[in-house]
Amino acid sequence: MNLEELKKLKEKAQRQVALREGSKKYRVVVSMGTSGIAAGAREVMKTMLDEIEKRGLEDVEVRVTGEVGLEDVEPVVRVEEAGGEKTTYARLDAEKAKKIVAEHLEKGKKVDNLAVGKEKKPE
Amino acid sequence: MFEELSLHILDLAMNSIAAKARTVQIMIAEHARRDRLSIRIQDNGHGMDADTLKRVLADQTTTKRSRKKNIGLGLALLRQTAEMCGGELHVRSTPAVGTTVTASMKLSHVDRPPLGDLNATILALCAANPVVDVQLHYLTDTDRFHFSSKQPAEKKVAGPEGLRGKEKTNYEPGRTQKVEREGTAAGCLA
Repeated sequence: MNLEELKKLKEKAQRQVALREGSKKYRVVVSMGTSGIAAGAREVMKTMLDEIEKRGLEDVEVRVTGEVGLEDVEPVVRVEEAGGEKTTYARLDAEKAKKIVAEHLEKGKKVDNLAVGKEKKPE
Repeated sequence: MFEELSLHILDLAMNSIAAKARTVQIMIAEHARRDRLSIRIQDNGHGMDADTLKRVLADQTTTKRSRKKNIGLGLALLRQTAEMCGGELHVRSTPAVGTTVTASMKLSHVDRPPLGDLNATILALCAANPVVDVQLHYLTDTDRFHFSSKQPAEKKVAGPEGLRGKEKTNYEPGRTQKVEREGTAAGCLA
């Protein structure tokens, strides 16, 4: 790790904090427990952050959490919308993560073939 | 099995955050002269009593009961890696004080995983809980590097070569790595 990289890291983290402040349209929660990490959750998170940055999406925040109880289908990412709707995506990799950013987070279209479980609609 | 040591670090530091630590210190010491690599993750979370500690060190035990499937392999995996590379794992924990996990291994061991993407590890930890102060202390025989996610302002970089230091640290075993001196990135959450 060198200074350049750390500076980038700092800027990224600052941007993330900024995202936490206001209420954003999308919150992406990456499962980062032992099994998630082993399945590549860290790379998925990194890819999503890079892609969100590349596309200049400002209405998205990315957070990390522990195990979510879906160990057998890791890496798992949950996209929460401001309205309360939640979509869980499973068995991700870098390519699929990019697709979710491009489709769901940018265009607002769910990627149905990657989603698992029943979506939770707000009451 | 994790392919990078930085993934082990991420895993255990996530435990620290789950244990409500306010500060997580990650210390990586690379002693090329003594051919040792040691990694220490120290937190001030809620800690464990002696019985719990004994249990978590046995394979496949977790204290996290909220989950449907209990895996509990984080420490066991790092212990396996450390022991495979001519080293060992120590855990010290005191309830209400915190937990310290230390893994050591032979730096030049052929099976030693590379440190890998420490950057992504720190970033993930900051995203896990931006309130936690994540510190990284990286020491080599000749240099040291400190980073803290809580540091209020960019500190002066000592030595002109530190500023220009563009070179990537590569983690080839048996070589003294060059790490920028006190190259402090300002607190990413300041």
